[in-house]
Amino acid sequence: MSTPVWVALDVASLPAVGYVARRVGSKLEETRVPLLGVMGAFVFAAQMINFPVGAGTSGHLVGGALLSIALGPKAAIVVMTAILFVQALVFQDGGILALGANIMNMAVAGVLAGWLPYQLWGGGRFRSAAIVAAGTLSVLVSASLAVSELLVSGVSMSSSVLGLSFALFLVSALIEGFITLAVVKGIESINPSWIQKPATAAPAVRALTASSVVLAGVGVLFASGAPDGLEHLSEAIGIAGRQYTLLPTPLADYELEGVSSEWLRRAAAGLIGLALMFGLCRLLAKGIVNRRS
Amino acid sequence: MHHTTIDRWSRGRSAIHRLDARAKILSLLIVLIAVGTAPTAGIWRTGAGFGALAVASAGLARLPVLGVFTRSLAVLPFSLTFAVIVYLTGDAVRAFALLIKSYISASFVLLLVGTTPLPHLMRGFERLGFPAMLVLVIQYLYRYLFVISTEAQRMRTAAISRGLQRAGFQVAAGAVATLFARSYHRAEGIHRAMVARGFERHIPILAAERLTPADGLLVLLTLSIAVIIRIGAVR
Repeated sequence: MSTPVWVALDVASLPAVGYVARRVGSKLEETRVPLLGVMGAFVFAAQMINFPVGAGTSGHLVGGALLSIALGPKAAIVVMTAILFVQALVFQDGGILALGANIMNMAVAGVLAGWLPYQLWGGGRFRSAAIVAAGTLSVLVSASLAVSELLVSGVSMSSSVLGLSFALFLVSALIEGFITLAVVKGIESINPSWIQKPATAAPAVRALTASSVVLAGVGVLFASGAPDGLEHLSEAIGIAGRQYTLLPTPLADYELEGVSSEWLRRAAAGLIGLALMFGLCRLLAKGIVNRRS
Repeated sequence: MHHTTIDRWSRGRSAIHRLDARAKILSLLIVLIAVGTAPTAGIWRTGAGFGALAVASAGLARLPVLGVFTRSLAVLPFSLTFAVIVYLTGDAVRAFALLIKSYISASFVLLLVGTTPLPHLMRGFERLGFPAMLVLVIQYLYRYLFVISTEAQRMRTAAISRGLQRAGFQVAAGAVATLFARSYHRAEGIHRAMVARGFERHIPILAAERLTPADGLLVLLTLSIAVIIRIGAVR
């Protein structure tokens, strides 16, 4: 990864996790503090258990979706961060420079992606499918983010390499989905109260999320399978000529004026973009909550 | 096992071991920034300079130099994957720089972990503004990591001794679920024991937490050496 990318992710992930940890810490009853630590140790140990998946290969649990289903998303983010921290610090696994990127991809995005399908459909008829989708999405989102960070870093990959790696990600993501389902079923047969019940969401929110997930999936398929096709499509619709003028901001081309160092400029631009996105999402979420209540 | 060696290292006695965790964390941060932001041009000299600094620090801390460098190799499977991808795109120098950077930073992380017992290290992170909650969870995770892993090993031995040839998918899922249940019960027990002992939301350590002139010297020295190496590598 190039310097601006990992610096930006390190700088962004620390406050994000700090915020979540403080939220968890202020609300949490004390019982849960040792529970979160022990659950982190559990994920470490569970990763040593092999699941045969046919054709002589085996997979293992990654755990982001399972943790968010069992403990809730905020606690799961804290536990996954602790796991990545111990891996990087004590076992030299993953590397310290990439820690911020790993936390963003796996602990924050992976856990949230695993929580969303379960939260929306985990209570209804499609409960099993929702759990499989949770595990699948969690791994798929983490992997896609890692690849896009590489791409942003300036590593050029041909569309065949991209397609192949996406297919591999999809297979391992599906494996995670089915492992998560089997383990959740197993835990529920021992003690159902250990798995959090999803809150009931309004049908409109469900439909909105479903359509956005489908749209995103179609977009990813388009982009990975036929990068030229996407360009072709945009040309056909006529947005190709306009896409550069859509954002005539200081962030255009991800660069800021007035800062001397090249990478510092790009990192700062990335961070400001991230902050803007975050603010936008908060506003949207507030709007939705206000309308519902 | 890996952890026992590092735990033993971290309880050694040397001038480096006696320094405050906060000073060592800040020094690591300086080195990480200097190594991480180093330009690809002259990466040989940057790598050699910081490599020499790592050897000197390991010697000063009376850690086995060879041990530090072989254990740092554990970072390579991860960074090698990325290096191969970069190499395949035709940028061999950048791939090499990536390997050097990850290896050097891993050896400095090992120097920090190998000279500071984990409770002191985590207390240092907390004093530097890390969320107390995260620090606690990390400490519990590390404390019970090997307990739960041993539990998993025992379950495996028990299954094999009962005649299990090759675990199927459902059997593996059952094992993970059982491990979850046992971990949950253990966490409840831990909490009861903690309450009985008057736990107050952080793990106390028996050491003075006072910054001495030596701590300031370490940070200053690291900063100046890092700047010198970076300037020297450019020319």
